Amino acid sequence: MAEDSLGDPACGGMDGRQDPVLSSGGFNFPEYELPELNTHAFHVAAFGELWRGRLRGEGDLSLKEPPAPALPGAGGVSDSGSEDAAVARDLGCSLETAAELRAVCGLDKLKCLQEGEDPEVIPENTDLVTLGVRKRLLKHREETLTIDRPCRQETFAYEMESHAIGKKPENSADMIEEGELILSHKEHKPYQTMLVLGSQKLTELRDSICCVSDLQIGGEFSNTPDQAPENISKDLYKSAFFYFEGTFYNDKRYPECRDLSRTIIEWSESHDRGYGKFHTAKMEDFTFNDLYIKVGFPYLYCHQGDCEHVVVITDIRLVHHDDCLDKTLYPLLIKKHWLWTRKCFVCKMFTARWVTNNDSFAPQDPCFFCDVCFRMLHYDAEGNKLGEFLAYPYVDPGTFN
Amino acid sequence: MGSSAGLKDDCEALLSRFQEMDSVRFEDFTELWRSMKFGTIFCGRMRNLEKNTFTKEALTSAWRYFLPPYTFQIRVGALYLLYGLYNTQLCQPKQKIRVALKDWDEILKFQQDLINAQHFDAAYIFRRLRLDRAFHFTAMPKLLSYRMKKKMQRTEITEEFKDPNDRVMKLITSDVLEEMMNVHDHYQRMKHVISADKSNPEKSLNLIKDDFFDNIKNIVLEHQQWHKDRKNPPLKLKVKGGEEKIERNSQQSERCERAESLAKIKSKAFSVVVQASKSRRHRQVKVDFSDSESSQVQTKTTRKRRNKETLKPAGRKVSSRDRGDMQNLHKEDKSLSLSMPVVTEEDEENESFSETEFTAPKRRRKQRTKS
Repeated sequence: MAEDSLGDPACGGMDGRQDPVLSSGGFNFPEYELPELNTHAFHVAAFGELWRGRLRGEGDLSLKEPPAPALPGAGGVSDSGSEDAAVARDLGCSLETAAELRAVCGLDKLKCLQEGEDPEVIPENTDLVTLGVRKRLLKHREETLTIDRPCRQETFAYEMESHAIGKKPENSADMIEEGELILSHKEHKPYQTMLVLGSQKLTELRDSICCVSDLQIGGEFSNTPDQAPENISKDLYKSAFFYFEGTFYNDKRYPECRDLSRTIIEWSESHDRGYGKFHTAKMEDFTFNDLYIKVGFPYLYCHQGDCEHVVVITDIRLVHHDDCLDKTLYPLLIKKHWLWTRKCFVCKMFTARWVTNNDSFAPQDPCFFCDVCFRMLHYDAEGNKLGEFLAYPYVDPGTFN
Repeated sequence: MGSSAGLKDDCEALLSRFQEMDSVRFEDFTELWRSMKFGTIFCGRMRNLEKNTFTKEALTSAWRYFLPPYTFQIRVGALYLLYGLYNTQLCQPKQKIRVALKDWDEILKFQQDLINAQHFDAAYIFRRLRLDRAFHFTAMPKLLSYRMKKKMQRTEITEEFKDPNDRVMKLITSDVLEEMMNVHDHYQRMKHVISADKSNPEKSLNLIKDDFFDNIKNIVLEHQQWHKDRKNPPLKLKVKGGEEKIERNSQQSERCERAESLAKIKSKAFSVVVQASKSRRHRQVKVDFSDSESSQVQTKTTRKRRNKETLKPAGRKVSSRDRGDMQNLHKEDKSLSLSMPVVTEEDEENESFSETEFTAPKRRRKQRTKS
């Protein structure tokens, strides 16, 4: 197969220089580096090219609904006739053979259930091991559960996975192009999996990662509880970087963004620590198509100075007509860990918004309160502070549920 | 989860019955499919999420059998199985079959083979799957998330679905034979040309046997025939004790794989033996085959002259005799009494198991007194 010579992958803004050290020239064929764990590094766009070069446009890559096969016997004769002609052409057989194939290989040949049989019911005399296992499981559920329905987490997970399937954009300009690549991006702590398009910039992914540390509000507010601070950490500390394959991609969109990776680079260069040369780049100049990455290999996303998340690209594939086709919905969240929110200690109903330390009123340190209970307990009707305590606004990680 | 083990058993049950039918026709497959009611594998009130996961697993299990090193028949069976599973699944929208880039070329080659061999139903099925856009074109076959903690499940290759490991046939393919014939003819012609007497080449140029090429051909054909004979009777035996033998073998395969790999390492260390000069022939180092338990010699020597193939641990010899599995025993190992054609050679001592090149045989042949 042709080994792609990359030339200069498109990376606007930079002077065309890409990471020179990494993946050996043009070998962009994903192969295991550590078996079953991760691949060696390859260039995403080149990988896409390798696939697109091997597939036919309308047949494999198109995002329109595929034509349904003409059923044997049903449908107009002309439909089946032209289909037979296509079959005969592709397979190199005669028209009669093609018609025969259509009959022999029809879907009706695979029917195992009679008319009227419910696909939900396991048939009685079955040899299949899988069904045996399932039957036992169902019986167990019948015996032990009063109400058999999916639990909240399961419904939530299923909804996340499928909520965007098949969504078409209203504005056709938002339509994904054929041959676009979809990367599956898994982040740890908080566990979430996002689908991101190859043509999207790294900054778009950065913006869509919800981390609770972004919402933290710094400062002690026991004396001024009403002063709801406008500035959350996300607005104050805008720096962030991604680390992929020896390059730190820093967010430099705003003037206050700093290069967080400089510390690391300086540290690594100060002594011979055994790491290769690190590079820096601007996050906003790169799309996912421009990257060299290993599938299945852990990389890093760092923001707020020291809040670090391990990120793994779990999968790359070509877009399919059943996927969500609305560009604006990407990066798309498809899997999220359900986090139990911390409730107010007093009412046990609302999510905690305040946390106190050294609180004479509180039975434990630290103690969590919702807004109403907090004010009721710690302030009198005029709003004067009662007792001694330190109070901080609290953002629960489960806020994103 | 229990379902994945169950899936593997069911797929293998279906595929081994298909293999026994000795046919690659879709009609035969659908007969089996309907008799096993395989389409009901999705029944049973699975909730949505479970349905998705199970279907994905089912497609992945079936997919494994579609790629090499499985035999042609198994691969066609796997294709039919994929078609069946894809179309009988209950998920809406349908779960897709993942294809990795590295496998796609192999698959296209397979498709071309099907068309060339005029297995139109299989080719039609594949074409149908492709038109229905049943595939997801991915980087790697499964999602990778660097899970170091979970024990990596060793994907065991079901031995009886594989072609027996025939190193002889792998080396002496028909291309090689043809080329050898051409070279031989060319060589003969050259000899004629450069000799003084145009009709008879010089006696001094008689360095090889003239009928050497025919000999090779005959030996290879004999070998092929032996292979076929060995395969066929076991098929009938399979029908009887089919299931328990499959199970026994899969259990043994893991043990044997390990034993085999140990033996391979050993043999590699010991098999490289220097050919002693003629004066020291009496002190030629021989590789020891007396240990029939674990001795496995993989050699790359003069395959043309004998059927030297890999030995398998004797532990399996019982089952292999019954099932005629992929075991090609070393002919020198007389303790394993299989019905193997023994090609007698004279100069056995000199044929030590050095990893000789292609050119070495020419030198040895000089020593043979008769063919």
